[in-house]
Amino acid sequence: MILSSMRNVVFGYGEEPVIDRLTLDIEAGQFIGITGPNGAAKTTLLKLMLGLLRPWSGTVTLNQEIAAGGRLEIGYVPQQVASFNTGFPSSVRELVRSGCYGRLGLFRRFTKEQEELVERCLRQVEMWDYRNRRIGELSGGQKQRICIARALAQEPQVLVLDEPATGMDAASRAGLYKLMRHYVSVHKRTVIMVTHGQEEAGSYLDSVINLERREREGWTCLVTNSCSVRFGQEE
Amino acid sequence: MDVFGYEFMQRAFWAGGMIGIIGPLLGVYLMLRRQVLMADTLSHVSLAGVALGSVLRLNPALSGFAVAVAGGIIIEQLRRSYRTYSELPVAIIMTSGLALAVVLMSLRQNLSKSFSSYLFGSIVAVSGTQLKLIALVTAAGLIYFTVLRRPLYSLTFDEETAGISGVRTGLLSFSFAVLTGMTVAAAMPVVGVLLVSALIVLPASIALRLASGFTAAILIAVSTGLLGVFSGLTASYYINTPPGGTIALILLLFLLAAISLQKLARLKRRRRQYRSPLHSRDTVN
Repeated sequence: MILSSMRNVVFGYGEEPVIDRLTLDIEAGQFIGITGPNGAAKTTLLKLMLGLLRPWSGTVTLNQEIAAGGRLEIGYVPQQVASFNTGFPSSVRELVRSGCYGRLGLFRRFTKEQEELVERCLRQVEMWDYRNRRIGELSGGQKQRICIARALAQEPQVLVLDEPATGMDAASRAGLYKLMRHYVSVHKRTVIMVTHGQEEAGSYLDSVINLERREREGWTCLVTNSCSVRFGQEE
Repeated sequence: MDVFGYEFMQRAFWAGGMIGIIGPLLGVYLMLRRQVLMADTLSHVSLAGVALGSVLRLNPALSGFAVAVAGGIIIEQLRRSYRTYSELPVAIIMTSGLALAVVLMSLRQNLSKSFSSYLFGSIVAVSGTQLKLIALVTAAGLIYFTVLRRPLYSLTFDEETAGISGVRTGLLSFSFAVLTGMTVAAAMPVVGVLLVSALIVLPASIALRLASGFTAAILIAVSTGLLGVFSGLTASYYINTPPGGTIALILLLFLLAAISLQKLARLKRRRRQYRSPLHSRDTVN
């Protein structure tokens, strides 16, 4: 099943487009990596996909049918999320619990299952021991991990991570890729991850969208495996 | 007690108590959203509204209230246009509000005494109508922050992720701007235009230093705000000083005390760690 379709999408920040007539289909139920050098419009592609940016022309559609009888739940961990205000007065546990707010609505109380989910998410990113710490006291990699735990606590159908391994050591990065692989294979969810470490993450991924810059021709997308991408061609 | 023997003092304590709850509560969110100057800006905008009301022979309190709310909405709209320079809309509106207030005030020279009560705050300035307005704003604010505490937490932490996870960020930010305008306009009679942001910012500054969690931050901010307002009003009555300035100075003393105590506690903790047997063994070896 197609999760996201982009048809002839053109987008830019100034006069010139950084993405020019991109056509792309993303399959649901896969672990997809988006790679490319700095400035290759990886984050732009993600934001277009999520509807945070509107294309100059073309269409972007997210398949809401993937959600079992409700709104498509997307967990998003942006690139700069770990650089949050260090003075934010919240404990690690409080922040991860906020991932459940979408399901709870305004008034429903936390159930035992949700408390267990929060604990499980914190344990999965190896941050349970830090649950009572103030979030501002954590290191960059630890902040990144609790933001991932928060997204996991949301129990989303699609998890979108923008360079989630920033600030993590090699062991933590491997743990993260393994966890995402598990999330896709066992829980049948979709994970889309922007990463610089294609060599490290490659064996865990189902598909890779590799963005490359080509002068004069603008930006181009190369793709391996099952993502179907065309660039610079009219539909 | 002597201080409660007068009706105007009772009104001042009621008004101060209510603003002492809603101001610091709002302040925690404003500080975390990096919009701390918004309160100061809206107080200047509100002053322009008061001046406009005087010129047009309307109720100055109500016109100040309406213009402050409008100012909050304009800042929110400009914030969306100037995403990269989020401080710019606040500066634009502050300059415009102040300029408008000065020009309008010059049109009605005989109103300088009335304006000084808005500038510096006055216990006698709290009329029955203003007290009702403050009660209305406090009730609306308490309902707003209680009902929307979860989406507000998500919005305050990160607007982008909140939007993707289903929070209606546009509507929430808009309503927050309206509430900020309402609170600032309602607080003016108690602490005055010049010190309105003190009541919103100082308790929140103390809370963000001391609290370990979000709920704790809100409770500390509100308790500090109430204590500051009540002690400030009492002190101003007995030593005959302007209430707004006295409240702000007391809150400033609380902040200095909090910083000092926090530093002292940190120093003690470090010394204890330094003297611990484990640490001694490590350093000797």
